[in-house]
Amino acid sequence: MKVSTQWMKDFGGQGLDVPTDKLVETIGAQLGAVEETTDLSTHYKGILVAKVVDCVDHPNADRLHVCKIDDGHKADDVERDDNGYVQVVCGAPNVREGLLVAWIPPGAVVPSSVETSEPFVLEARDLRGQKSNGMLASQKELAIGDSHEGILVIDEPAKPGDSFASIYKLNDQIIDIENKMFTHRPDCFGMLGVAREIAGISGQAFTSPAWYLNKPQLPVSGESLKLEVVNEVPELVPRFMALAIANVEIKPSPIWLQSFLSRVGVRPINNVVDATNYIMLLTAQPMHAYDYDKVRAQDKGCDHATILARRPLPDEKLELLNGKEISFGGQEIIIASASKPIGLGGVMGGASTEVDNQTKNIILECATFDMYNIRRTSMAHGIFSDAVTRFNKGQSPLQNDRVIVKCAELIKAIAGESAGYASELIDLNNVTTVTKPVVLSADFVNARLGLSLSIAIMKQLLQNVEFVVEEKDNNLSVTAPFWRTDIEIPEDVVEEIGRLYGYDQLPLVLPTRSLKPASKNTMISLKSRLSDRLAAGGANEVLTYSFVHGKLLSSVGQDSEKAFELNNALSPELQFYRVSLTPSLLEKVYPNLRSDYVRGEDNEFVLFEINKTHNKGDKDEEKLPKEWQSLALLFAADAKTAARKYQGAAYYGAKRYLSFLLQESQLNLKLVPLKDIKKADLESSTWVSQLVKPFEPGRSAVLIDELNKIRGIVGEYTAAVRQALKLPDFASGFELDISVFEDQLPGSGYIALPRFPKVEQDVTLRVPKTLEYAELFDFIWDKLDSDKPKDTFFTLVPLGIYQKDEDPKHKKVSFRLWISAYDRTLTSDVVNELLDQVSKKAEKEFGAERV
Amino acid sequence: MDYQHPRVREVAALLTDKKRLSKDGKSILRAPELGALYAEIGGLPAADRASFGKEVNKLKSELEKLVNSNDAQTKKLPDIDVTAPFDQNVEEGRRPGPLSSANGSRHPLMAEREVILDIFYRMGFKAFESRQLDDDYHMFESLNFPEGHPARDDYDTFTTTDSLIAPAHTSTMQNRVLKKLKSNLDKKQPIAAIIPDRVFRNEDMDARHEHTFYQLEGIYVDRAIHAGNLIATLKTFLQEYYGKELKVKTQPFYFPFTEPSFEFALSCPFCDGKGCNICSQSGWIELLGCGMIHPNVLREAGIDPNEFTGFAWGCGIDRLVMMKYDIEDVRHFEAAKLEFLRQFR
Repeated sequence: MKVSTQWMKDFGGQGLDVPTDKLVETIGAQLGAVEETTDLSTHYKGILVAKVVDCVDHPNADRLHVCKIDDGHKADDVERDDNGYVQVVCGAPNVREGLLVAWIPPGAVVPSSVETSEPFVLEARDLRGQKSNGMLASQKELAIGDSHEGILVIDEPAKPGDSFASIYKLNDQIIDIENKMFTHRPDCFGMLGVAREIAGISGQAFTSPAWYLNKPQLPVSGESLKLEVVNEVPELVPRFMALAIANVEIKPSPIWLQSFLSRVGVRPINNVVDATNYIMLLTAQPMHAYDYDKVRAQDKGCDHATILARRPLPDEKLELLNGKEISFGGQEIIIASASKPIGLGGVMGGASTEVDNQTKNIILECATFDMYNIRRTSMAHGIFSDAVTRFNKGQSPLQNDRVIVKCAELIKAIAGESAGYASELIDLNNVTTVTKPVVLSADFVNARLGLSLSIAIMKQLLQNVEFVVEEKDNNLSVTAPFWRTDIEIPEDVVEEIGRLYGYDQLPLVLPTRSLKPASKNTMISLKSRLSDRLAAGGANEVLTYSFVHGKLLSSVGQDSEKAFELNNALSPELQFYRVSLTPSLLEKVYPNLRSDYVRGEDNEFVLFEINKTHNKGDKDEEKLPKEWQSLALLFAADAKTAARKYQGAAYYGAKRYLSFLLQESQLNLKLVPLKDIKKADLESSTWVSQLVKPFEPGRSAVLIDELNKIRGIVGEYTAAVRQALKLPDFASGFELDISVFEDQLPGSGYIALPRFPKVEQDVTLRVPKTLEYAELFDFIWDKLDSDKPKDTFFTLVPLGIYQKDEDPKHKKVSFRLWISAYDRTLTSDVVNELLDQVSKKAEKEFGAERV
Repeated sequence: MDYQHPRVREVAALLTDKKRLSKDGKSILRAPELGALYAEIGGLPAADRASFGKEVNKLKSELEKLVNSNDAQTKKLPDIDVTAPFDQNVEEGRRPGPLSSANGSRHPLMAEREVILDIFYRMGFKAFESRQLDDDYHMFESLNFPEGHPARDDYDTFTTTDSLIAPAHTSTMQNRVLKKLKSNLDKKQPIAAIIPDRVFRNEDMDARHEHTFYQLEGIYVDRAIHAGNLIATLKTFLQEYYGKELKVKTQPFYFPFTEPSFEFALSCPFCDGKGCNICSQSGWIELLGCGMIHPNVLREAGIDPNEFTGFAWGCGIDRLVMMKYDIEDVRHFEAAKLEFLRQFR
């Protein structure tokens, strides 16, 4: 919302006579953020009013004129003739002797170029043999509208040598205040409202002009134009006013009016349209003017014009003022003649009834539209007009009568002498709400602001912006003025008082609190513990988008039907909520392997992410989609690095990371080959069903908890995934639901250290090739545990697994055992015996042979 | 394919990889690496030449086979014993395991979240996670944004085809947290909570705008809490965070869920308010939105606004981290580029 300080000074100027930076600071602290200020006076520096005293055709050019101008001898350093006049060459068709014009002398800048990258500084120069000192300026060059047909002719009392800026109050500061601040302040979308606020926050009393405060005198109807106004949707159009004005002369507005519109960014069109815009900028109430005769012509054979507010009918269409043709969704409010739509109510007028240069009679409309309906219509049609900006904040319908009369008066004043009111002032008023006073105590206010203001001060602050305040038994009864729609509850009054008093004056004290320590969030703490652990293990924590491409889902075999889909994704790459994290990591492998960054060092890395996943199948206790707390990790190395460093399946890289992570929490999860899991178990939840999809069944294992539930997966990726995502051969990873850690306290599972020396002994067992390692290990462990001498403590680690071509049915697995007792030194005989005993049991169980 | 000679093994892995990554698989038969192997034969000790040459020939024919069989790319690898700690026939030094610690890194946003959490824990705040998929009630309605309210326009939300919402602010948790901690008030304890988590905005990306970012929500409710408490609390946090005295200022703002609402700025901690690139020479950094919780929001959570008042704020975490490390582009955060991540080792 751009405001002009000069314009606002029309209302008394309270608070405005301070340096601009001070004013901006006050507005910022007590009204809203200032986006930008423009010192207009610098744009018009040096530009003078001049009188054309002589004007002859240029001897060497058809369209140019050589003029002598009288600038009252104001300009310095300019060549003058014997009479003291200055010669300027001018190409405008309308230049002639006797005109008062705006002269931009040499050294001054053309205002329209001030804010461009190359401001145009005028100089004295030859134009086809004739000296031209500066230029006589058009409206466009003076940044007052678009008119470029001729030079601007000054239409206010002025004399040669006057500063051009002073004639049109252009020594102005334009302050652009963020619209967002006024979401609940429709009144501040007009100069009047902002002027009032500035007075208020400056601690000064403001009085609105009489025409605004008092019920208007209804204009007397002169020549009669028959006008019928109908409101078929009173619930959406609480107030609908209209008036016909006859015999208007359509022409450009006076320069002062065009100048005011231009400086706040509104393009002048013609006097009638400009008047409606001017009144909107003044009062925040949008207006519309229709060509009366065009409206009447819509309804064939009708002797009068009709405007009515209604819902659109199916198949109706409307061409808007911006040239766009729209059809309707059905929920809009339209303005129509008796037979056809002529405007999208509260949003934009129609082209067929536009006021143009041929217009003789007009209908002026001043209505209030339902803010929610306007918002929906604006969104549905993608139209964001000045009217929408104002109506969707909820303009007060109580000011319409003042506004329409003020606008009519302005049009009558600037649209030719014969213009006259031609109908009754029609007012279809369905406003039922009554402004009720809000009652609150001074304590209520002070408690919320931390202040101890007296009732008198509160009263004064509110009265400054024209609230009616009564004091009753230490209570304030506050009645908002008719233009305010935002004061409903006591807290609204608190805000008003706090803002007017100044939030920068509040006492900064911390709340008092008890000594009770805040307990930490266990899930957040868990996440940071796991991340710290993995980072210490050389892995890199990443964050990736929660949204993925449908193609990514399908390329890893996941079902996009199970994924939540966005209505309004920024791109297809961000169309679906991810159902697991793994695909997001898989996507990052190839770019990282390819990046120049890792060339030169080992081209391998471990990425992990802790984040949430969602799917359409699993719900939580709120009946909302369950948010799975997931951790995914991926280990990849390029071919060269892998060939140099590693041998065998990449699977075991990810598995080592998984053990490293689980070890931290002494968490025991059983690994079961994915290929052995029953289909029904894989469909126990949508999460599991999608989680396992990228993984190769023969080279992956699911993680099973003590309750036999699948909590994650570790493995290599299917050939299709490796191909689609351009993975190297060496790539493996895991993903698990970290809530599995939640009940598990971190701990090292510490075991007291025996004081006696330990005995170390290796054992190698030749077992059938198909025997799973874990089965063998668990068996040996259990037997060692049950058969070990009492009061001993042992450790068993794998040393190697060998499977040779010459013995294709068997493999050899070696373990190393350390064992010690707490109360004695063990002998190797005892240990050997133990191993023999265990081996025998293994032989019985698996046909294992100790070698 | 299994080869005894490490060089042959290396080239075999390299070319198999290359085959997968290139559209024209045939080029690997003319690869310079393969030619190099033949050239190396002459330089080997006489004893190795025969076996090496044999393996190179074997590699060449394997590669030809690979090139000629279209389904080779999608060939399933043999099953392995997934319960084993390492692969069979692999010596200890060649088993993959955790990389050197020196490579590891925490994500800067997550690391900073912990710094922030630590300060608020010390100030007595509890922490909650937010949701990444929520309903209209929590995102808007419970926060005094009625259906069709124009303030909803300021939150460019993503919605799903099931009418769920990708939360555009962590305030989507406000109603839940207020309800959950409401019993504190009966015990004469305040409700003091922060929610540092991921949010989404449907806006085009550039160096300063991400559709996915992290926000820090704060909520405080007790008897006789006033706007001065709000400003003091935020100032205290920021001074602790930056480790220095700061000036703060507020500008009135509008949010439907706070009344009054403010935009909160602090004097630039990087130049002490003198003006620098980080604060665009203004000396001030606009950091967050805040305000006194709207009585309708308290009421919606079953808290009597006549008895209790409170404040809330929302602050961008990405911005704090970008300023701290002078990170030039917000899009780095979600890009998972090692070049970026490993700078935070």
